[in-house]
Amino acid sequence: MTVNNPKDLEQSGYTIAYQGRELSSEKKKEIFDKLQKIVGKKNVSDREIDKLSYSKDYWPIALRWTLEGKVAALPDFVVWPEKTQQVSHIVQRANEEEIPVIPFGEGSGVLGGAIPVNGGIVVDMKKMDSILDINRTNLTVTVQPGINGMNFERALNREGYTSGHIPQSLYCSTVGGWLACRAAGQFSTKYGKIDDMVISLEAVLPQGEIIRSKPVPKSSTGPRIDKLLLGSEGVLGIITEATLKVWPYPEKRVLQSYAFSELQDGLESVRIILSKGIYPAVVRLYDRIETSRHFYQTKKAKGKCMLILVMEGYKELVDLEEKVSRIVCTENKGVECGENPVTHWFDTRFNVKETSEFVPRDVIFDTIEVSVMWDKSLQLYESMISAMNTIEGVILASAHASHFYPQGVCFYFTFGGTPVDTDATDFYTSVWSTAMKSCIKAGGSISHHHGIGIMRASWLPEELGETFDVFKRIKKTLDPKNIMNPGKMGL
Amino acid sequence: MFDTMRKYLWVIKAISKLRLSTQKEVITNFLTAEKKYVPDNTKADVSDILKCALCPNMCRFDCPVLQATKSETYSPAGKARIAYFLEMGRFTSDDAVDLMYACAGCSACQRWCPFNFSVEDLLTGVRKDIIGKGLVPSALMSLKENLVKNHTIYEGGTTSLGLTPRKADILYFAGCTTLNKTRKVADATLKILEKAGINFTALPEEWCCGAPLSILGFDKDFKKFAKHNTKMFKEEGYKTIVCSCPECAYIFKEVYPLIGLKMDADIVHTSQFLLTLVKEGKITLKERKEECVYHDPCALARRLHIYEEPRALLKYIPGLTLNEAQFTKEETRCCGMGGILNVTNPEISLSITKTRSSELQKASPCVVTACPTCEVAFKRVDNYEVLDISELVLKFLEE
Repeated sequence: MTVNNPKDLEQSGYTIAYQGRELSSEKKKEIFDKLQKIVGKKNVSDREIDKLSYSKDYWPIALRWTLEGKVAALPDFVVWPEKTQQVSHIVQRANEEEIPVIPFGEGSGVLGGAIPVNGGIVVDMKKMDSILDINRTNLTVTVQPGINGMNFERALNREGYTSGHIPQSLYCSTVGGWLACRAAGQFSTKYGKIDDMVISLEAVLPQGEIIRSKPVPKSSTGPRIDKLLLGSEGVLGIITEATLKVWPYPEKRVLQSYAFSELQDGLESVRIILSKGIYPAVVRLYDRIETSRHFYQTKKAKGKCMLILVMEGYKELVDLEEKVSRIVCTENKGVECGENPVTHWFDTRFNVKETSEFVPRDVIFDTIEVSVMWDKSLQLYESMISAMNTIEGVILASAHASHFYPQGVCFYFTFGGTPVDTDATDFYTSVWSTAMKSCIKAGGSISHHHGIGIMRASWLPEELGETFDVFKRIKKTLDPKNIMNPGKMGL
Repeated sequence: MFDTMRKYLWVIKAISKLRLSTQKEVITNFLTAEKKYVPDNTKADVSDILKCALCPNMCRFDCPVLQATKSETYSPAGKARIAYFLEMGRFTSDDAVDLMYACAGCSACQRWCPFNFSVEDLLTGVRKDIIGKGLVPSALMSLKENLVKNHTIYEGGTTSLGLTPRKADILYFAGCTTLNKTRKVADATLKILEKAGINFTALPEEWCCGAPLSILGFDKDFKKFAKHNTKMFKEEGYKTIVCSCPECAYIFKEVYPLIGLKMDADIVHTSQFLLTLVKEGKITLKERKEECVYHDPCALARRLHIYEEPRALLKYIPGLTLNEAQFTKEETRCCGMGGILNVTNPEISLSITKTRSSELQKASPCVVTACPTCEVAFKRVDNYEVLDISELVLKFLEE
């Protein structure tokens, strides 16, 4: 059948999980015409096929709905601005019409942050994807937010630099997406997270005001208002340009791996290494289950916990980092396993196959990343694993630690299972719920770098305490009509 | 087998800890659940399409169609998702059907796919089901009918080089585009072969290799073309078939055998054959100070893995500086006229051509390629020098 509106879609066998406000056909035409005037005919669509294509991001439960004949939500329009001014005008029109605006990069978010739950205008930023300047003296790059991560990194590499931000989603996410959810890359222990890399920003606020901060290394001029946009997931505006730090492409890279009988010894080794001022770019410590899953070919790691390290940068510094790391790991009962496990990680680090392989087999799985201070780290790990295992149908719960600080660590949990006497959504929600409660109880933060979106929203007030109310008041002041990405972050 | 067991030991261990009844449910689900989501009466491989649809688009940055449109609809996984809706019979619209043809067939996606899928291969199955439902867009039906009738993709085009056939072991096969759009490429190749003293011939009438039929999913017609060509090649007992068009070479070499038509002859691309002639001293190339950039055609570099031979050939030209573009060899980028994109989505096709042209011109104002379609594509944007490798060799040929 030919589908012309959501009702047709429903008649054809689909249900829509989040129903937005129904606009009259006159209103739709009026808004469509206004949007065309702002961005030009070619840059606005109300085609059903485009609405369907922007009905989801990479939230696992919404992806699963694809199989069940369920669509998460449909926007009313999709627009592709090419200039900051156009973004501003779109937001102004949306305020006039009181219609939601949902910023969109490449839809790789895993918590539903880009789903248009109340309909509205999806603002796809991919046509704003230019690298505007690489400043070799200041070691900065000025870039538009819609650029794809891999294309960004390849362009920098060609000029002899790296962004230092290499998330697993590098191939399928944008710079704007990274900034909007305060992302972390695999090389973050040396280079920092995306929020550490920001020098200055340009953004459009919820009522269309354009703000620009000054590119300076540091200032003492009051709170950094622009930084409110970092991690705001589109609820406080749309980032339209960023000046970020870059690094010279490393001249040397050293790969090391060690197997520890106890996770605690691995954690302690990393803690000591960092306390000495040594920051390997990649530090990943896998628990026993994940070691057997990823490094089954390494005999020395059988039944143990694998730590992989990548040191890179200026040659003499790297040599020193290698030496110190070896001493610390060996002193803490680490068994050296050589380069092969690290090479294996490099070869497979972008092999994202699990969803495609397991979802059609009714295996429900997801990942949950949290952070915690060192002194509570082991307790948090153990309590979250135990909590997830209490849900009937959970086949496995495991973790690795993948981002480290002198003060603490990020654990990245994976759970998988099959619903027993319940449906997929309830099973999924139950595991998440118990994991979040356990995390908060153990003193951790409920998200390290994936953000809040829809999935984590109900735990955000408890996570933030009094500051959640401050956050709500800021939102109310900046966005009194709740235009920007409504239904996310508990707002 | 032992390695597979070791690989999945963590899963086996995890399942073994479950209650017996849960174990049974998990294993039964794992083995049978997909049947609920994948129809079994389709020509498309819906299981693979679903895998692609559920991927976060890990190949998206190298998909020329997506990079030209910047629209999720045109993303590889986006197309697969709509394809899934179509195959499940839950969603059909003209836009959805048209989308199933919006692919350059460049296989850039395959390089990054953890499942080694090519989106075009996935979509070809969907196109077969579209034929079954009678929903093929009229322009594509006309294209197919004209091709079947005229044996060339170009309406009113020629199918002959006009040479008098002679007995020879070597057959030169120009291909539809060379015959009709870049005749200079054929002429250059013929002159070089003659200069080298090669005893070769050409068919009195060349039928299209059938690539468009294969891509569009017209299996029966494709088989008819494949059978005809195979018969022509076998009847004369050619030992070597030299193709100017990488697509023809790929179809003859890799696709005909898939439908049970094995070739006796060696299939080589002109760049390979000309390299042999230079190496054997049958032709000599003169010195001249020039520079160029070589554009790897997708079919040649990615599907046939031929990218060193053209470069080796160019290196035999004394004084020629060979520059490299940012994306080369198996990482090459589409010229914009891959597959049938120029027919189905001419604006997207042109946009891709402009992007690739710009990348190439950063390396050199003179672009050399080894595919007549790429040459046609580049020549339609800017006024700069674009040559086929055979034309360049002819330029440098010692008298």
